[in-house]
Amino acid sequence: MRTAYKVFAWLVALGVVVQAASVVWAVAGLGIWVDKDGGVLDKAAFESEETLFPEVAGFMIHGLSGMMIIPALALIFLIVSFFAKVPGGIAWAAYVLLAVVVQVALGIYGHEAAVWGLLHGINAMILFSLAVYAGLRVSSLERRPIAPAAEHEPV
Amino acid sequence: MSSRLRLVLACLATAALVVPLGWLWWSSLMPDEYSVMEMGYTDLGGGPVPAGAPGHGAGAHGGPHGGTPVDVATLVEDGTGKADVRLDLTAREESFTLASGREVSGYTLNGASPGPTLRATQGDLVEVRLTNENVPEGVTLHWHGIDVPNAMDGVAGVTQDAVLEGETFTYRFVAEQAGTYWYHSHQISHEQVRRGLLGAVVVQPAAPGTGSARPGTGISTGSSAAGQFADVEALVHMYDGQRTVNGQVGDVEVPADPGTTVRVRVINTDNGPMTIWVSGADYRVLAVDGTEVNAPGPVSDQALVVTAGGRADLAVVVPEDGARVELAGNAVVLGPTGVDVRAEPAPTTFVDLLTYGEPAAAGLDPTEADRRFDYVMGRRPGFHDGRPGLWWTINGHMWPDVPMYTVATGDVVTMRIQNDSGEVHPMHLHGHHALVLSRDGEPATGSPWWVDSLNVRDGESYEVAFLADNPGVWMDHCHNLPHAAEGLVAHLMYAGYTTSFKAGGHARNEPE
Repeated sequence: MRTAYKVFAWLVALGVVVQAASVVWAVAGLGIWVDKDGGVLDKAAFESEETLFPEVAGFMIHGLSGMMIIPALALIFLIVSFFAKVPGGIAWAAYVLLAVVVQVALGIYGHEAAVWGLLHGINAMILFSLAVYAGLRVSSLERRPIAPAAEHEPV
Repeated sequence: MSSRLRLVLACLATAALVVPLGWLWWSSLMPDEYSVMEMGYTDLGGGPVPAGAPGHGAGAHGGPHGGTPVDVATLVEDGTGKADVRLDLTAREESFTLASGREVSGYTLNGASPGPTLRATQGDLVEVRLTNENVPEGVTLHWHGIDVPNAMDGVAGVTQDAVLEGETFTYRFVAEQAGTYWYHSHQISHEQVRRGLLGAVVVQPAAPGTGSARPGTGISTGSSAAGQFADVEALVHMYDGQRTVNGQVGDVEVPADPGTTVRVRVINTDNGPMTIWVSGADYRVLAVDGTEVNAPGPVSDQALVVTAGGRADLAVVVPEDGARVELAGNAVVLGPTGVDVRAEPAPTTFVDLLTYGEPAAAGLDPTEADRRFDYVMGRRPGFHDGRPGLWWTINGHMWPDVPMYTVATGDVVTMRIQNDSGEVHPMHLHGHHALVLSRDGEPATGSPWWVDSLNVRDGESYEVAFLADNPGVWMDHCHNLPHAAEGLVAHLMYAGYTTSFKAGGHARNEPE
């Protein structure tokens, strides 16, 4: 279970990497499409569900991954933490899930006011750091005796 | 802590997370077959309970004058006379080639997409025979903007069953309103419309001097008291990422002598609002959604928004060196053959139809409204038929638990359409035209502004009014068709009427 805990922590972190890469890839593709091919992006084009340019897949990956896959991973991560007996592990899994919830909310509100998008980018760093730390600390705990820490573990 | 206790606590914590989510998921699942009559809850808009209205929950309990409810399938055009205009349309799923040379896999009507333009004169009895040759999911035709009898409205699972492979359905209606409209499938509409099951409808006024069609060109010419004019429809549709005008890409040339007036009937068949403007000339907005604007003034350096499903007829007096009607990357070029007109960038200011034109009697008194409805759009996370996501809400309720707007024939109805959802929504009410009364509390002061497709941007609140004079069960939905498929759909129901058609089931009806 401890291995599963580590795996899910790293999967959430990997998800953030995919998110950052896919959205920048898509924006770059959009820029090239408009700039070099004279593409016209308006609401109708935006809503067309058509492949205007190949990199539009990046927006889809970002949406699908951000709205479904990463939240599901974070939820499973928290459930795994209940069973993993990692000292302090539940708290860190909960922080990760909280950061995911905030991240999704900022992503949604970014469609209303762009400033939330700014915070969405910053919170991505926080989420990534939390997930990486949650994974790393299992490895570091494994190199040390953990019995005393277990006494103070929150449930 | 003992390991057994720890395990029990872990299981309880897991259950505390999973059980509510599972319950939300399970309760959102739709049955294989359902009737819109059973959907949501009755909303009487503060009016009296009309005869035949249900007491609790939606669903007809009696006829409009008591007795058994009237099935909407019986609401057909009166009379069995010979049609003035007949059109046979055969729907096929196939590959076809755009003018740009791009091969598109989609749907055609009589081998082409857009399908043939239906041309009629005001007052004509129109008869369209739709045959489905090979579309496995079935097809229908909805007459967008034409207030047809309910059984002719073409909504699969509400007003008819989808026309399956090898079947034929005949639509008959009187083209009572002159103007620009369009037809499209209302079976799996978010996919079938996008992939080409659509065409234009032009109803010329009954007055003398109207144009005659030149087959195949989409251009009709004629003469009026004011002299020669041309009349052209510009049906904008995106195929496979390629925006087209009447199926063509780039500049669509319409030869016109300088000094003549050209009526350009712009039809937006895509899923989002479109910004249009004219390079090289002023223009007037002659009509919106098939209704003439009263005393339309000249517009210069301003763009016009044509919402998804909406239409705008522009009048352009052709200058010596031509003009371009700019349509999202393509253009209709008016002028002598081969004229080269410089494309101007999109203006940054817009025609506001709230104040455009001159006031006139609208023939509807909203101060005496019998019912006042709210249609407030929002968005929240949840499950839609088992799929997790961020879904639309109407008055705080998620589909299918949405209001059933219930009216009696003859009611004057007002509706506040408010958008708190974070995205623009082109709202389309079937079978009726609504008069815009105000936007964000600012009253309409221009020409009476009648719509069937209203662009409601995020944060905006419109008040509209309409006369409930066309009995049946009518969709009132977002014409960003994927949004409709995501649950942004409600219905306007006349008390005492019911539908025996069902979504899903053996008929495989899927209206959105």
